[in-house]
Amino acid sequence: MIEQLIAGFGNALTVTNLLFIAAGITLGIVIGVIPGLGSVTALAVLIPITFYMSPLAAIAFLVGVNKGGTSGGAIPAILLNSPGTPEAAATALDGHPMAKRGEAQRALKFALFSSVTGDTISDVLLIVLVVPFAAIALQFGPLEYTAVLLFAFALLSGISGDSPIKGLIAIAVGVFLSTVGLDPVDGSQRMVFNEVELFDGFPLFSLAVGSLAMASVLGQLFELWRAKGEKRLSVEEYSRIETRLPAREFFGHWKTIGRSALIGSGVGMLPGLGVTLAAFLSYGAARRASKEPQSFGRGNPQGIIATEAANSAVVGANLVPAIALGIPGNIAAALLIGAFIIHGIVPGPFMLTNHGELIYALFASMLMANGVHLVIGRIGIPLWARIAQTPRAIILPPVLVMCIVGVYLPNQSIFGVGVMLAFACLGLAFQRLGFPIVCMVIGFLLGGMLENSLRQSLRLHQSDLTAFLGSPIALVFLALTLFVLLRALRRA
Amino acid sequence: MPHRSKSRSAILAFSAFMAPAVAIGGMAAPAVAADYPSKPVTLVIPYRAGGSMETMGRVFTKALGKELGTRVVLKTRPGAGGAVGALEVSKQKPDGYTLLFAASVSLLWHPMTRDIGFGLDSFTYIAKVTDSQMALIARQDAPFNTLKELIAHAKKKRLNYADQGPMPRAFVNFIGSKEGVSWTSIPTKGGGEMVPFLLGGKVDFAWSGGIHNRFPKKMKVLLSFNSGRLIASPDIPSMQELYGVSMPSPVVIVGPKGMDPALVAKIEAAIKTAAADKAFEDLVTKKLKFPAAFVGHKALTAQIQQVIAGMKRVVAATKK
Repeated sequence: MIEQLIAGFGNALTVTNLLFIAAGITLGIVIGVIPGLGSVTALAVLIPITFYMSPLAAIAFLVGVNKGGTSGGAIPAILLNSPGTPEAAATALDGHPMAKRGEAQRALKFALFSSVTGDTISDVLLIVLVVPFAAIALQFGPLEYTAVLLFAFALLSGISGDSPIKGLIAIAVGVFLSTVGLDPVDGSQRMVFNEVELFDGFPLFSLAVGSLAMASVLGQLFELWRAKGEKRLSVEEYSRIETRLPAREFFGHWKTIGRSALIGSGVGMLPGLGVTLAAFLSYGAARRASKEPQSFGRGNPQGIIATEAANSAVVGANLVPAIALGIPGNIAAALLIGAFIIHGIVPGPFMLTNHGELIYALFASMLMANGVHLVIGRIGIPLWARIAQTPRAIILPPVLVMCIVGVYLPNQSIFGVGVMLAFACLGLAFQRLGFPIVCMVIGFLLGGMLENSLRQSLRLHQSDLTAFLGSPIALVFLALTLFVLLRALRRA
Repeated sequence: MPHRSKSRSAILAFSAFMAPAVAIGGMAAPAVAADYPSKPVTLVIPYRAGGSMETMGRVFTKALGKELGTRVVLKTRPGAGGAVGALEVSKQKPDGYTLLFAASVSLLWHPMTRDIGFGLDSFTYIAKVTDSQMALIARQDAPFNTLKELIAHAKKKRLNYADQGPMPRAFVNFIGSKEGVSWTSIPTKGGGEMVPFLLGGKVDFAWSGGIHNRFPKKMKVLLSFNSGRLIASPDIPSMQELYGVSMPSPVVIVGPKGMDPALVAKIEAAIKTAAADKAFEDLVTKKLKFPAAFVGHKALTAQIQQVIAGMKRVVAATKK
């Protein structure tokens, strides 16, 4: 394997390839900064450009886009508290408080460094595990998915806000909203009022951008209006703020980095679970492991590390099921598979044997892309940090416009924009009432999966709930769920 | 199968017979075809970016643009298994400037089972470019090798299968009702979820929309759901042979109903050349392993009517 990898570097280490990677990462970050436009949109928009490239350059370019798009989302989350994706909402929890204290540069550095480290760890895991993995993933059936999702909800309830009950209620609202649309089993209509646009349920991007980014920006604008302008740090206060982040300090958090990268890789390898779950599982785990959990949500850099390392780790690991089984782990991986096919590589169990040389060149490109990502991201930080120093009254209104554009563009649907506006109002209401809106969004995101897995389990085992006893993996996760819930409730 | 219309009048007579609306539309706008296309054409693909249909549509868009001599703008409008995009196109003017590239399933199943805003007669079928490869499949090591053996097995023990929506389920259950066995359907979201369930042994067999072509050593085909046999499994019988019904496999290009026959003929000719485009053919036959199977307006319209009749039988037989 080492030899193949070295040969891969030999093929991949060309100036053109490096330039394509750099271009991909830059475009990915720029697109990812716009709320609602994450790596998925970036990939969808840029794939047609790759028709004209060689297969390796094309795929290296797209891998760069995917990496840049995933980490770009952290920038508006930290600077403006306007996360465009649910996973960036976890970054905002601690990133924005840090930016508010003036430590925007440090927060951005924490985000970038953890992103790159998490990504590298997961790429290495991808290269080592891609062959033996297939067997493990097949152990996960409906029962196991159901248990993992329940565990995620239990962890989530403890994450944001101070009351786990409020968290659970918000999750329940999200799960309820996820039932709108055509019934996944028999196709009957549920709360859609014969509106074809609602057949697939509320569009996720509209719901996420509306309730997370737009609600937060609107909330900040109201605040500004009420306070008649904002209090700004004076010049000498700025000069006293620490902007440096020595490598020693960063790697001092090696436990959080390692744990988060492993959680991210684990989630990424299971098809369908996705970036958001990884980010929040990892955030929850970091908080539970911390000696001072109450400092989370108030600008603890470990919160940023946990989320960014985990969600970037998903990017590499997601290719494990894609390459080993031909099954995309999430939409971004599905788009990459589409690109593979256009370039004549059919993903699946035979990809390594038929296109081994190209795959190892791809692995090499992914590792190289991490280095490029570090450099490009680092150059961008002082530029982005300017945004934090610009008066919010100037920065925030254009963000509102970008939210609308970001939601409209991918599907060109005005209906989606309407849904976004409605959820912006709901988000504001949740803020005022002290319910964590993030829990609602993730409840919505995972609610559909939970319903699907639970109903599959019930049908497979003829509604016999004791079937859970037959699956050790499911039992472990159910026990963990109970443990986490009981502990959270006792503390509260 | 005839794949080219003999003359324009034949089409006219045919469409007047098939759907009066087509003829009326044709008479009202005789001059449309002459200067078509005078502006960019929008090709709607009602699926999410990244799937094989979207991949195909994207490459086809380029070939069609070259052929028509105008810009063809690709627009993805996903939702409800293609119904959202189909509904949108059905409401446009039948002037040839808005076309839909879709699997015919998306145009037929919804209107048969619910009120969706468009009907079975809402579209002018211009041409078919390929057939999706739908099959009943099992793991390579499954204890049955043919549909007969599967049925014999199902009589001894209740089997589970992965469907991918209400229509595949109706067709699999139709076989069950004909053979006097019942099995449990496990709903899965697309091939991506079906594959691990099948290979991991969570289900005994599965409906596949074509993804099995990527796993020739791990899966075996028991039945073709198409009207003909599958190109990758020529020895396996089709549902049409055994039960006289088939699932709608054509991948088609349609416009709103009431298109001028001269316009249809013009677009059909462009599609025919575009479907033979090297890049497109290469993608379809070599990379996706679909057949290159161009069929023109007249033959396609008749074929679709036949499929609809079969689907009606399946719906009636499997209704609770």
